[in-house]
Amino acid sequence: MAAFPPLAATAARRLPGLRKICTQVWSLRTWDFLPLATLLVFGFVVPDASAQGNAGAQGAQRFMEYCAGCHGADAKGGDKGPALLSAANANRSDSDLFRIVHDGTKAGMPSFAQIGDENIRAVLQFLKVLEDSTVSKSPSAEAVTGDVDAGRALYFGKAQCSQCHLMQGEGGFIARGLTKYGRNRAPDQILKAITTPDTPLAPSSEVVTVVTGTGQRLTGVLRNEDNFNLDLQSEDGRYHLLARSNVTDVHHTGHSLMPRDYGARLSPQELNDIVSFLIVASKNPRPGPVEHPVANDQNATR
Amino acid sequence: MQPASGARRAVTAVCLVLAMRAGIAFGQAEKTRTHPADQRATSSGDRNGSIDVQQDDLLKKPVAEDWPSYNGDYTGARYTSLAQITPRNAGRMTAQWVFHPRVVSPLEVTPVVVAGVMFVTSANDAYALDARTGDVLWHHVRAVSEGLIDDPGQHHNRGVAILGTRVYMETDNAHLLCLDARSGHLIWDVPYATGNRNYGATSAPLIVKDKVLVGTAGGDDGVRGFVAAFDAETGEEKWRFWTIPGPGEKGNESWPGDSYLHGGGATWMPGTYDPELNTVYWGTGNPAPDYDGSIRPGDDLYTSCLLALDPDTGALKWYFQFSPHNLFDYDAVQTPVIVNATLKGKSRKLIVTANRNGFLYILDRTNGKFLFGKSFIENQNWAKGLDANGRPISAGLVPDEKGVRVCPSDGGATNWYSPSYNSATHMFYFRSFEACAVVQSQPETFAEGQAYYATGIQTGGEPGKGYINAFDLDTLDFAWRDPQFGRNKGWGGVMSTATGLVAFGDDGENFVIADGRTGKPLWHFHVGQLIQASPMSYSVEAKQYFAIAAGSTVFSFALP
Repeated sequence: MAAFPPLAATAARRLPGLRKICTQVWSLRTWDFLPLATLLVFGFVVPDASAQGNAGAQGAQRFMEYCAGCHGADAKGGDKGPALLSAANANRSDSDLFRIVHDGTKAGMPSFAQIGDENIRAVLQFLKVLEDSTVSKSPSAEAVTGDVDAGRALYFGKAQCSQCHLMQGEGGFIARGLTKYGRNRAPDQILKAITTPDTPLAPSSEVVTVVTGTGQRLTGVLRNEDNFNLDLQSEDGRYHLLARSNVTDVHHTGHSLMPRDYGARLSPQELNDIVSFLIVASKNPRPGPVEHPVANDQNATR
Repeated sequence: MQPASGARRAVTAVCLVLAMRAGIAFGQAEKTRTHPADQRATSSGDRNGSIDVQQDDLLKKPVAEDWPSYNGDYTGARYTSLAQITPRNAGRMTAQWVFHPRVVSPLEVTPVVVAGVMFVTSANDAYALDARTGDVLWHHVRAVSEGLIDDPGQHHNRGVAILGTRVYMETDNAHLLCLDARSGHLIWDVPYATGNRNYGATSAPLIVKDKVLVGTAGGDDGVRGFVAAFDAETGEEKWRFWTIPGPGEKGNESWPGDSYLHGGGATWMPGTYDPELNTVYWGTGNPAPDYDGSIRPGDDLYTSCLLALDPDTGALKWYFQFSPHNLFDYDAVQTPVIVNATLKGKSRKLIVTANRNGFLYILDRTNGKFLFGKSFIENQNWAKGLDANGRPISAGLVPDEKGVRVCPSDGGATNWYSPSYNSATHMFYFRSFEACAVVQSQPETFAEGQAYYATGIQTGGEPGKGYINAFDLDTLDFAWRDPQFGRNKGWGGVMSTATGLVAFGDDGENFVIADGRTGKPLWHFHVGQLIQASPMSYSVEAKQYFAIAAGSTVFSFALP
């Protein structure tokens, strides 16, 4: 993990024009950074894209230049744009995708006609390669090898996942929601995330202990931090909105709240059941939309 | 009709560096779990950061530190008791922070603030912010819906409602979402307007007791309006009041055949609520089609009305129709403000509202009886006045193929931007707009996927003139009317404070604080974007802020 920042820095030095993007990539998506670091340092050659030759490299470069700022360096979505590696996009025709990039969308995406048709096609080709290497990794609901019902029982019972993680409208709030978590992840990726959490630590998940000017000790998840302010959320859900000037000490634990002993607490079979449950649940559209009967239907009397 | 969106601001490759985590040392010390003792220690004292909205918080009036619903409190007065910012020091206010959400159309949201946490929406996205700094605590991402038309197709959203640890919002395609207020995670999602794909939603929900009340947009597109109530815990629908009567119901004579299914009467703004009378007051929009009344004879109930509904059952207690058989798109969704005041020597429970049709109304809110009315625009030609019951005396204007010039214009003498009532000075503040328009009409057939105006407004219309008005309930006359200057017609609402200030967005892209007695501006800040939203005020750590959404951005201001 410690090797990441120097790699990113090297990439930024070699390609000064990309420094801003590198900084952004680093801050947003540290845990997904490795393939991109490779990509940046080694001339935009994605291993799977090698067959695409120059076109693949060109697509990667153009993607970083024009798309990553909004859609995320991994195309999994950013603050300004949605995930591109989605089932909806996978089902779109090449000409539809081309039109979207060329003309923009009603939803707010600007037109990229100015980059030229060739570059648009290169970007789309790059996305197809990325899609093949990520989206397809999550097996179908039928192909999972564990017991989904047992996994559900573990999730809401013995394994205590639901204490922190919301799943289809049920569960806690302090950790990320897992309703869609399994949609684009391979079983071994999910297993690794359960048994060796914090590798790397996801942003906004680190537990810190803060001592305030009045000597008060606060422990919580660090939701925001900058030179002036700290926002902590303790496990009771409360946000502690602190000015750094009122804080005398900040202790970073380097960990999230996720227990680190699941590999010992649960059997391989149990872990596989939970993984299977997460994958199958993610392919189910609940928690919404839930159709309730209309209280007073159109033809009913008032 | 709701306002047309301004220029769509395409968001181009904005690089937001979120959560720069300088200072993280990998592999540092081990002990990680939160110590319960520490939590208890921190939970004592102030409640900052603890989001748990109780009925008492929603019933508190006037609002103070928190602004827990769209209009602040249930009265719709948008009057804060916060008194740190005064006419004497307002001139020293400065910008505190700026928040730029993912944006697809000009923001119309009023921020909601609870315990130092601000909740805003932009299209279908919701955010929780540190209200001191504008830093994002969570962001619920939801893409805009494809295939919508007209107002919902512009994806406007006016904000959230909140109860307990849950946040509620409407989506552009009329789903009611329940999110965990502590994480932004989706708890449930209920589509509440089906059977006509011209339905959509732009409003903020209203919490009343254990229910979430919502309305619908699409009143210019041939939907059938309704107010519906959902169990806040489960999302189960509890009641639905249709604003267009079905066969066999009172008022159905205006809706031959199945035209009641396309009669409009949309409910696209939150209502107000009087807990003592156990009544919600909810405005309804124009009839559909907007400009052709030939196929909807009679008064067209319950369009362009104020409805008094039982919040437990949805039963209609009374209604007051401002613009019967309307032909000019005069929605009546402007906030019906709950006022207790002495009127003509008698202490009364009132509704005060300035209507899009150009008249200001004072009603008895116990029974809907008309008590007072007054035109607030100079050019008024659609009605000759109001009769003793408050019914307009029609001037007989009927749109045709050639067009008829009508004042006020289709955009209204006022609109959804908020009014405000200062209960200390008895001053009612609101924005008005002087304009006329040529309305043309030809018959049209309803079809899903297209608007249902039956023609529209002749292009190249007359420029209008905006005003901020102060109407004195003691004298029943205007204390002042301030003309607005600027490049754009403003869509900014008004609020007022216990220190006698009024705050509003003007027509020159300024956020303004003025002296409520005179209208004299005391301070302004050029936000550089058209203001198409209403302001609010809140306090964190004993510091008072004003916040307003302008264009693509939310701004917060306070004393230095």
